[in-house]
Amino acid sequence: MKKLVFGLLAACLATGSVTSCNNKLNVVPVDSIDAGNALSTSDDVQAALVGTYTSLQSIDAYGGYIQFISDLLADDGDITFVGTFSNPYQFQRKTIRRDNGNAQSTWGRGYATINRANNVLANLDKVTAAASKTRTEGEARFLRALTYFDLVRLYARAWNDGTPSANPGVPVVTTPTSTVTDANLLARNTVAEVYTQVIADLTAAESQLPASNGIFANKYAAAAILSRVYLQQGRFTEAAAAANRATAGPYMLNPDYDTEFYQGADLLANTAEDIFTIQNSAQSGINQLNVFYGEQQRGDISINDQLLNQFEAGDDRAGLFTVTTNQTYSNKYDAQYGSVKLIRLAEMYLTRAEGNFRAGTAVGATPLSDINRVRARVGLPALATVTLPIILKERKLELAFEGFRLGDLKRNQESTTDPTTGAPVAWNSPRLVLPIPLAEINVNPNLVQNPGY
Amino acid sequence: MFLGVDPLQFCLFNFNFHCMKMKNFTHYRLLLLLLSCLLAAPAWAQSQAVSGRVLGSDSGALPGVTVLEQGTTNGATTGADGTFRLSVGPRASLVFSSVGYATQTVAVGSQATVNVTLQASATELSEAVVVGYGTQNKADLTGSVTQLSSKDVGNQPVQSFEQSIQGKAAGVFIESGSGKLGQGIRVRVRGVSSISGDTQPLYVVDGIPVLADNLSSTSGATNPLADINPNDIESINVLKDASATAIYGSRATNGVVIVTTKRGRVGATKFTVAYQTGLSSPTHTRDFLNAAQYTELLTEARNNNGSSAASTATRLRIIAGDQDPTSYDTDWQHQAFQRAPFSQYDLSASGGSEKTKFFISGQYSDQNGILVSNRYQRMNARFNLDHQATDKLTFGVNVGATRSVNNRLPNDNAFSTPMQIVALSPLTPVSDPRTGQPVGAIDPATGTYSTNFPFYYNPLLSIAGGAYTTTVYRLLGNVYAQYKFTPDLYFRSEVGIDFTNYNEDQYQGRITSRNSGPTNGFSYNAAQVNAKLVVNNYLNYHKTFAEQHLVDVTVGTAYEQGQVTGNNVTGTQFASDAYRTIANASSITAGSSFNNGGNTLVSYFGRLSYAYAGKYLVGGSARLDGSSRFGANNRYGLFSAGSLGWLISEEDFLKGNTTLSLLKVRASIGKTGNQGFGNFPSRNLFTGTSGYVGVPGQSPLQLGNPDLTWESTTQYDAGLEYGFFDNRISGEFDIYLKNTNGLALNQPVPLTTGFGSIFRNVGSLENKGIEFTLTTRNFVGDFAWTTSFNAAINRNKITNLNGPSILGSNLSRAQEGQPLGVFVGPEYAGVDAANGDALYYSNATMADGSLDRSTTNDINGATYVVVGNPNPTWTGGITNTFSYKGIDLTATLVGVFGNQIYDGGAQYYSVAFNNGYDNQTTDQLNRWRNPGDITDVPKAYLFGGNGTGASSRFVRQGDYGRLRTVLLGYNLPSSVAKRGYLQSARVFVQALNLLTFTKYKGWDPEVSTDYLTGTGSTSQNNINQGTDFYTAPQARTFTVGVNLGF
Repeated sequence: MKKLVFGLLAACLATGSVTSCNNKLNVVPVDSIDAGNALSTSDDVQAALVGTYTSLQSIDAYGGYIQFISDLLADDGDITFVGTFSNPYQFQRKTIRRDNGNAQSTWGRGYATINRANNVLANLDKVTAAASKTRTEGEARFLRALTYFDLVRLYARAWNDGTPSANPGVPVVTTPTSTVTDANLLARNTVAEVYTQVIADLTAAESQLPASNGIFANKYAAAAILSRVYLQQGRFTEAAAAANRATAGPYMLNPDYDTEFYQGADLLANTAEDIFTIQNSAQSGINQLNVFYGEQQRGDISINDQLLNQFEAGDDRAGLFTVTTNQTYSNKYDAQYGSVKLIRLAEMYLTRAEGNFRAGTAVGATPLSDINRVRARVGLPALATVTLPIILKERKLELAFEGFRLGDLKRNQESTTDPTTGAPVAWNSPRLVLPIPLAEINVNPNLVQNPGY
Repeated sequence: MFLGVDPLQFCLFNFNFHCMKMKNFTHYRLLLLLLSCLLAAPAWAQSQAVSGRVLGSDSGALPGVTVLEQGTTNGATTGADGTFRLSVGPRASLVFSSVGYATQTVAVGSQATVNVTLQASATELSEAVVVGYGTQNKADLTGSVTQLSSKDVGNQPVQSFEQSIQGKAAGVFIESGSGKLGQGIRVRVRGVSSISGDTQPLYVVDGIPVLADNLSSTSGATNPLADINPNDIESINVLKDASATAIYGSRATNGVVIVTTKRGRVGATKFTVAYQTGLSSPTHTRDFLNAAQYTELLTEARNNNGSSAASTATRLRIIAGDQDPTSYDTDWQHQAFQRAPFSQYDLSASGGSEKTKFFISGQYSDQNGILVSNRYQRMNARFNLDHQATDKLTFGVNVGATRSVNNRLPNDNAFSTPMQIVALSPLTPVSDPRTGQPVGAIDPATGTYSTNFPFYYNPLLSIAGGAYTTTVYRLLGNVYAQYKFTPDLYFRSEVGIDFTNYNEDQYQGRITSRNSGPTNGFSYNAAQVNAKLVVNNYLNYHKTFAEQHLVDVTVGTAYEQGQVTGNNVTGTQFASDAYRTIANASSITAGSSFNNGGNTLVSYFGRLSYAYAGKYLVGGSARLDGSSRFGANNRYGLFSAGSLGWLISEEDFLKGNTTLSLLKVRASIGKTGNQGFGNFPSRNLFTGTSGYVGVPGQSPLQLGNPDLTWESTTQYDAGLEYGFFDNRISGEFDIYLKNTNGLALNQPVPLTTGFGSIFRNVGSLENKGIEFTLTTRNFVGDFAWTTSFNAAINRNKITNLNGPSILGSNLSRAQEGQPLGVFVGPEYAGVDAANGDALYYSNATMADGSLDRSTTNDINGATYVVVGNPNPTWTGGITNTFSYKGIDLTATLVGVFGNQIYDGGAQYYSVAFNNGYDNQTTDQLNRWRNPGDITDVPKAYLFGGNGTGASSRFVRQGDYGRLRTVLLGYNLPSSVAKRGYLQSARVFVQALNLLTFTKYKGWDPEVSTDYLTGTGSTSQNNINQGTDFYTAPQARTFTVGVNLGF
């Protein structure tokens, strides 16, 4: 028995020896790795680039809320939010509270995406093959530009509202974060500075990206977003030119409008019309627009007759709705795991048409032929002439619920309606600009809040 | 029952009442005199039979008292009615001992019957108090320790032992967040000392620090301590000040709760059987609009938003399931609750010889929750064995095994949680007349699963077509060996394992598709293992030198390692609802594994206490902890404490003074730590979980801080222990200050960095408070009445954040200069009498420094100000115990005062339809209607958003007083029991949460919604206190039971 005791005592002393204890204290994580080991090789950087696309899948990015916020804010009675969450109501009422949770999560997600892209860009030297390096840079710059463009449109005054070079935009960050100091308490760059960054990134990306890049961004996607940026700025010639470059890709309109969105199966591959989509599968990503709009899901959005009445008779697009006793649903997002269409060829035709029409040019095609192309696909007769209202109406109906309304409303200086009072809300009303998140203002005293918050 | 009595007044009343009665007690000191007479009785020459009955001074019959013939191992244990029977030799004396009572020695003399009343020993000095790694005499103790015994826990219709000590320990605040079963419980010892770290005390069971990690897949936390059978507990010691806790070093800041399980005693094997059954119901329900009121208010809200009468009529008809809107008047809230029976079966055997003692117990408990489908079943077994191998060597084993099955509910923020049913309109029928199915099951137009009727998802569909079960197997045990080198020196080694196998199964059938997705069924399975190894080795030396110098030294080492691993799978597409397991899923939609990497703790500890002449006391303790959780440069932390005590009543000038029978002062200072953080907060990490539709990807996970080190707390404590009139009046008074510096704070950083927060050692907070206990034995003898009162005041303040406030949900936040979790937001100013708009005070600071008290209807125009505090200003409890002959009655009243509650659901159900079609509380009928109306309920306006923003409008007073337990028992006289071949028999009835006194108009003032307090962010869990969000009220439970001994 004494042996046992002394054995225990010895074990105690052994446990007590400092060296062995220090070894026992060296516990390393197994579900994650140290950042210092994360970006060492070409493959590591490639994985970080893929992780940036993954960030876009978030419901707070293109998984749904960026598009949803934009369409709700701009809505003038075409749709009604009938869900149970209070934040989307605020967007539809255009009385956003400074503690709005979506305003915070969309901002945070945007900058997480940007940080991921910056990590890629800061480690390009690890990518050995030259072609691969160029492509990687192009993709990262594309993703960063896309995100900045939507952030500046949601959180700052419109380009055409006052002086972009004086109006506060959003902070521009172009280096990855490895530690946080007071230097991270950034002030807002001007709207113009953000656009400059966006255009620089997209221009570079368009030249760096290959024509074909699988499900990832290619040069046509970069040209397409560039056309959006120019259109937003009212630079119609450049918008038409960029849209024209995007149409040069191997794309064609899907013969049926509805099969562009739903093919009777949940999983939706890129169609011939898709220039860039956010991919989803049962295991990866969420199509939150399916939850917002889908009849089989929450169905937060009820479509009003005001919208349905805008479709001409025979418009196939009017068939993409389900009318029930209680509520009318859009069927655009019925595919539960469907990819989110971020850039479709139809948009490029519409942008080229508008750009050409307003610039008085016919780069690539005449506005009339572009509009008739879009109309023909949905079974509508060709027009003999087009006007700007016809082009804009076509754009609105073609791209409904895809996140275009707020940008279009602002650049065209339309107004919308306060659903509570029925009073008009002007395109440049501070109510159509999101608040800088309360939490961000709380942390960073150098940020200036938007008017009204 | 919620009565409109002011809780404070009620309590004062009660207090005065028992003060008045205290005058009577001195007459009953005769009993002691009587006992001393027994000593003079003549001696008997041969073995004789002795029987008798033992009473407690604060209760009736005292079961489980060890009765030993002095100087021998001959003994017995009292039965449930307090009786014992024993054969003793000549000139025998009997030693009666029981935890919580003063040991008493009685000479038998010629008596055949020895009846004894043991004094409850709140301040009994010879009693052993379980402290870290050993025991100490109460008299020598220089720390602040609250002791509770088996009579404070056990036999209550609750799942875990903390629930039964609510209101019984000063300075220990215990709160069940909701009436869901087996869910997380907040225990706060002397306030909250961390913002981003763990704030629960360390739990030590039979010497082994046990697992208390929440493993729940949802943010509704589960409670691992519910795996411990409360009826197995012999004693609970709560260590509060640094001198008591510092020996637990880096885990001691939040206090230490030491649980000791029951052990066998020498004597004939004693069996006990207990059965208890009962029924639960909610403590309170809210008042929601009935059908007529709903129609009236909704019609008005629609009129105000410009809806036509025709469209309103159509809408009402839709709400009523295409029936005449006057057809139904459904009380949906009632549908969320169920008849909730409870039953519990206990069986135990204990006994032993001089060499080997054992305790074996088993329990089956089946408790139904008040919410539909909520049920908690538990089976426990325990085996405790002690064997004395030689004079010097003792070894033994303590093992507890548990299986629990919890039929759970979703968290409070889920559409499918039963309480959210209150959103449904009273116009909507429970069963759809068109289909005969539960409303919302089938769309009568299409025959498929309904997607848009009723207006909100009907949670009953998830009850009918789904299940959520958590099954836990837990093995908690240790083996020990103790070797006595000399009578003064022993060595003890303990090896313990705590192993939890945690399995969650969720299934949601087709009928739930509106909530779970159109996936032909949904199934989720998660399996986790949480395992831990603990090795303790220590030496104890205890010796008195020259009769005056008592020295007690403990030194030792401890090693702990633990790890949580697990995996989960989600599947959809089932052939039919009859298939429910992942194995039958046609599509696996998600799956992952989890491994927290593990953590280790290597420790060296020591304690020294010295007493001179039994009255001058000095103590010191220290622990050196090395933890894998901190960076290589800051791995070790030293925590130590020192204390002094003076037992003044042992001085010559007081000794023997019966008026002031006990007076002791003590003071301590010490430093303790908190390592309750994730395993790797100091590291800069990347994760590979960012794949993109099958293409591998990675992304940054967290920002590290290689300098991160311990959060440490310096605590000062001064205490006074007093007893008057032979301790008929006794108690303690403590005052303390806890300063926590270098908080390991998960500090928010600008989101523009791509991150939300980073751990930094910045900031400090303090807790200071007073604790007071008073026990009076108002009557002793046949009719005994004891009153125990305790009260505690704690003031928590964040003294420095060295950065921005940390925002929680709604109005909760951590803000410098304020207590943790303070509510900060717009201050509601009522309703504009002219137009019915909600108004808020501007509260902008004006040039002269005063606040602008003008009002605005723009909530964004209101400056944020402090509008409430979820921390109580004081808490307390009062327990009265009466006994007469075989009857005993115990009642515990608890009180929580001065706190506020944020009624988080009010933005939906108390806003006169301004946030949608949710049914409204009846107080919304006071809405503004016409210019000039004075009210605080704004104009009804469907979807108007008028007054719905988070503001002080939804902050409520949260004070309450509650009759927590009432227990009435009757012990059959032995003579009667024995006719049924029983040693003892007891029957009892009890009520839990019988009465609640509060002004809170919500469900129940004891509330903290699970979805905000069980998240992955400890900071958020600590900040988001006191929010009600469709949170289930507490249960009021009545039970009857019987305990038999044979």
